[in-house]
Amino acid sequence: MGLFTGMNISGSALTAERLRMDVISSNMANADTTRAEKVNGQWVPYRRKMVAFSTQPLSFRDQLAAAAGQGGAPDGGVRVSAIVEDDTPFKLVYDPSNPDAGPDGYVRMPNVNPLNEMVDLMSATRSYEANVTVLNANKSMLMKALQIGR
Amino acid sequence: MPFAIQPAGATPQTVAAGAKPAASAASVEKSFSKALGDAIQKVNDAQIESDQQVTALANGQAQNLHNVMIALEKAEITLRLAVEVRDKVISAYQDIMRMQV
Repeated sequence: MGLFTGMNISGSALTAERLRMDVISSNMANADTTRAEKVNGQWVPYRRKMVAFSTQPLSFRDQLAAAAGQGGAPDGGVRVSAIVEDDTPFKLVYDPSNPDAGPDGYVRMPNVNPLNEMVDLMSATRSYEANVTVLNANKSMLMKALQIGR
Repeated sequence: MPFAIQPAGATPQTVAAGAKPAASAASVEKSFSKALGDAIQKVNDAQIESDQQVTALANGQAQNLHNVMIALEKAEITLRLAVEVRDKVISAYQDIMRMQV
């Protein structure tokens, strides 16, 4: 429990939300990408990506202090532990003129739904704002503490 | 015991040592100066950290804008804390100096 523990926790949350925002940007940008990677000489469309959040593992110092019974509450920061791919099937669109169309005229499109991405985008933005608010509250608390005895 | 009346010749160090009988006068004085030095070092570290972050931002190497802002906030808060402590110390000193003898 340092002076800036709360700030560090909020900072980790801001970093995580930013990475989430980056992943959403990538999903949106690649909503029509039919050539993301080549598997066995065939182009595979872009797969939607998602972030998986997990609590930050305790540092060695915190674990030692906790084991010695002299540590306060450990840091409860968040981090992105993995970026996982969405396994839902690709959308099939009938477009024979597309260079990536199969023999039957259907094109496999990415499994990105722009509406879902917009909702995720709003969620990420609001979470970021919420964490900034927490950080500011933390700061104003510290500033108030400095006014004790004035 | 902590408020026992000291003999007139007692120096401030022995008064401080009287409050904590186990520590000798010299070690109390040393630990105070060390604590002060450490505190000032921490303030300086925060300033240097924020300076480096701003430089990284100006160079285009900063990964996250919020980390720069957090470093700046930390530097500001530690500096204000140091200023607050200095004000307290100076006002205590002035109170002593104004004492009627």
